[in-house]
Amino acid sequence: MSQTTTAPFLLESRGTPRELGAFVVAVRFSRDGRSAAFALGDGTLHLVNPADPDVWHAVAVHDGATLSLAADVTPDGFVSGGDDGALRRVSAAGEASDMARFGMKWVEQVATHALDKGRGLIAASVGKVVHLFDQAGGTLKTWTHPSSVTGLAFDAKGKRVGASHYNGASLWFVGAKTDNARVLEWKGSHTALAIHPEGDAVVTAMQENALHGWRLSDGQHMRMSGYPTKSESLSFSRNGRWLASSGADAMVLWPFFGGGPMGKAPIELAGGDGIICTQVACHPKDDLVAGGFSDGLVVVADIASSRVLPVAPPEHGKVTALAWSPDGARLAFGTETGFAAVVDFSRR
Amino acid sequence: MAETSTQVPVTVLTGYLGAGKTTLLNRILTEQHGRKYAVIINEFGELGVDNDLVVDTDEEVFEMNNGCICCTVRGDLIRIVGGLMKRRGKFDGIIIETTGLANPAPVAQTFFVDEGVKEKARLDAIVTVVDAKHLPARLKDSHEAEDQIAFADVIVLNKTDLVTPDELEAVEQQIRKINKFAVIHRTERASLPIDQVLNRGAFDLNRVLARDPEFLTGEDDHEHNEDITSLSFEVERPIDPEKFNAWIGGLLQDKGQDLLRTKGILAYENEDRRFAFQAVHMIADGDFIGPWKDGDPRVSRIVFIGRNLNRPQLRRGFEGCVAD
Repeated sequence: MSQTTTAPFLLESRGTPRELGAFVVAVRFSRDGRSAAFALGDGTLHLVNPADPDVWHAVAVHDGATLSLAADVTPDGFVSGGDDGALRRVSAAGEASDMARFGMKWVEQVATHALDKGRGLIAASVGKVVHLFDQAGGTLKTWTHPSSVTGLAFDAKGKRVGASHYNGASLWFVGAKTDNARVLEWKGSHTALAIHPEGDAVVTAMQENALHGWRLSDGQHMRMSGYPTKSESLSFSRNGRWLASSGADAMVLWPFFGGGPMGKAPIELAGGDGIICTQVACHPKDDLVAGGFSDGLVVVADIASSRVLPVAPPEHGKVTALAWSPDGARLAFGTETGFAAVVDFSRR
Repeated sequence: MAETSTQVPVTVLTGYLGAGKTTLLNRILTEQHGRKYAVIINEFGELGVDNDLVVDTDEEVFEMNNGCICCTVRGDLIRIVGGLMKRRGKFDGIIIETTGLANPAPVAQTFFVDEGVKEKARLDAIVTVVDAKHLPARLKDSHEAEDQIAFADVIVLNKTDLVTPDELEAVEQQIRKINKFAVIHRTERASLPIDQVLNRGAFDLNRVLARDPEFLTGEDDHEHNEDITSLSFEVERPIDPEKFNAWIGGLLQDKGQDLLRTKGILAYENEDRRFAFQAVHMIADGDFIGPWKDGDPRVSRIVFIGRNLNRPQLRRGFEGCVAD
């Protein structure tokens, strides 16, 4: 962590901001960390190499809004889904190509997992159906759910895929010969999903301003409530000790150790001013968490000490996208007004 | 619902299969009005829909876990409205076409319950298309046809060329018996000026509440049957907001399942703005709208559409909200 205490906001000294002109739906870094991609509500993808921050280029990817974005399983590309029914790949050079088209249905969720030897898995949800593809775009599986899929994630090993929907979530084994989901039941509408990095638990966000979790070893339910608004962003810390979440006027972190989160209180970071946290992203290497707020404020907090480092001032609209580079040296964020930036955290 | 709203207006089109919903939708979309609409449909009906931005969805209703058994909402609409808002500035309104058998309550409740949706979109009007020839039979064999009329702000009484003038009069009477506050348009092939359907601000309520044909009849019958009826009341003295909230809260809690729609414009004590109140079953919403106009009487009015409406009890309750 930088020891900067004099500069009020890191964006000024270490950021590369840009006005992109449309709602920033998602931001991701490529697996090699050499590109950051901002997916916008006008269907364009804006690519920048953080090492050469003055050169940005825009690629027209979707005829409509982009809805989801993930790093491709290749080192340098991206995969995106749109409300034009297209699932497309975009190379670092900015070439877009179709992986699949689904007519008028929206491609709402995309998740990827890189395996060894250039192999990888790409999952995309279209309504109630999750399609699983290999690295070449060949269809491996098609999994149907009782209602539309609202959250989609691979586990850390790429062996299982979790999908949230009405009345719970489904866990599918990628390598299973017969496709039977393990169904995790809880009544209500589940709107986002995260899988614990050690595979201990699945957590969903719910319509009723709460999180729900299932411990996978014994199916024990975990109920995490008290949010003033819906939690839309979930992120486990690198070792799975903490689950960070949006939806309150602070970053809310639930302990997944010492018997928690059952019966334990969460910790709250960077709160106190009544502004709702809209995005969270845990650091890939250290116990740090980044948070974006509805007024545009972006901060990074040290979980152990609760110390908060201001990153961007509350000036550019609600933060709608937030991501760390794979090495944790850079943080990218975007807002609903189309403001985007990459901030450099590397030692100098 | 504020008059200076920047929220996108949403029009809900309901009606039985074959009533003329899709014909009306295509009329709206092809008429030269210089406005762009996002259209949310649930299936391809008899006719295709000709529009740049059409979203095909499955009506996915779920029950909220809030202890309210009639609080059902459309999760698919929450996601779609959220997604459409990311393209902001590219369209002027949203039109939602429901399936023929749909109960309008979950659609309407979605716009009251979900914070994200409320922030970005407002329900402009529920428009119900009915078939003049077949409506009497539909009303006999299903609750849905009756519910769709009860929920309507605007009713398009279509296919008038297929019935005699007497039959038309009779079917309109049937509609009025269920919902006397909706605006009715008689049409052939769903032909009417689209400004009669879109951007009605029907939830602004002024028009609706101003045109009660029977405000002063004073009949005090107690309707106790499963038929849907509509009632309205007015008081001339200012309302005490605390008394009103206590009364309406309790009423919706107890009778919410029978109360399909409740709407009101209230003159609060020591307040120059009008307070607009509305509810669908137990789910209520209210906000201040523009100020009372100079010279207009500051009269509070409330409308109930539902089953088993107890007129004297509702009247006494509303009159009991008057400030001391």
